[in-house]
Amino acid sequence: MATTEGTTIIGESILISGSLAGDEDLTVRGRVEGTLTLTRTLVVEPTGQVKAEVQVKNCIIAGVVVGNVTATESVEITKEGRMVGDIAAPRVIIVDGASFRGRIDMGEVDVGGDRRPAVQARQAGPARPAARPAMMARPAPRLAASAAKVEEKPASVAAPRPMVPPAPVAMGAVKRKVLVKTKR
Amino acid sequence: MAGIEKASAARSGAHTVIGSSIVIDGEISGDEDLVIQGTVKGRISLKESLFVEASGVIEADIETANVEVSGNVTGNIAASDRVELKADCKVVGDIRAPRILIADGAVFKGNVDMDVKEAKGK
Repeated sequence: MATTEGTTIIGESILISGSLAGDEDLTVRGRVEGTLTLTRTLVVEPTGQVKAEVQVKNCIIAGVVVGNVTATESVEITKEGRMVGDIAAPRVIIVDGASFRGRIDMGEVDVGGDRRPAVQARQAGPARPAARPAMMARPAPRLAASAAKVEEKPASVAAPRPMVPPAPVAMGAVKRKVLVKTKR
Repeated sequence: MAGIEKASAARSGAHTVIGSSIVIDGEISGDEDLVIQGTVKGRISLKESLFVEASGVIEADIETANVEVSGNVTGNIAASDRVELKADCKVVGDIRAPRILIADGAVFKGNVDMDVKEAKGK
């Protein structure tokens, strides 16, 4: 019985469509569609599917998330996790095996000014052949590389897209930035 | 009281629990037991049992097999099997089910219809 006080579980066969808000941890094994707002941690288990605008403190994705995730602390995509959408969080962890398509915004970069332009350039999305926001082709594996030693692995789930070859200069900047943010 | 806590603990083994600080506005559907300690507005349709615990507040139409209410429910309840209103619950709305139990101390306002099977026959 894994249930503890202050934990909400959405079971495998359950579908919630609409808005969901709360001040406690939420574990999703079923489906949630709409908006999801929590002041604590959202865990999407491997059977879970979330198609929603998500606003939480922490988010751990081991299932499927489609939609934008805003976290005040961290977002982690585990090796089983699949996500399409944008992430805004000061800490973002993407491990090897995870698949992700979307943008990542770690917020203000309050270190040396020379890194800021690189970040902005990345967010602004320099004109690239990929017509969709496939920004993560580059940063995702880099982030993973800093969290655990991994090698680049093409997303198996995300819609077919051209894998953009990494641009070495931007990559260096991204990696440095991630390390800084992780320490913070 | 100890009995209630025990029952509550047993139910927490259920797959889905909506905790007391959770507010859901929309629709919940599924094929498994659902325990509600928080607030749900909209619609609930299940193929199994719904437990509305003492802290639970429902403003929704409910369609399930079983319903057990210890909290507050505003809305119509349609159960294919059984509806049980426990002591200290408050229910406003119509209830339609072949078996309806109302405990001493329960507060209920609305219509009751136990002719579900007949209605189906028509």
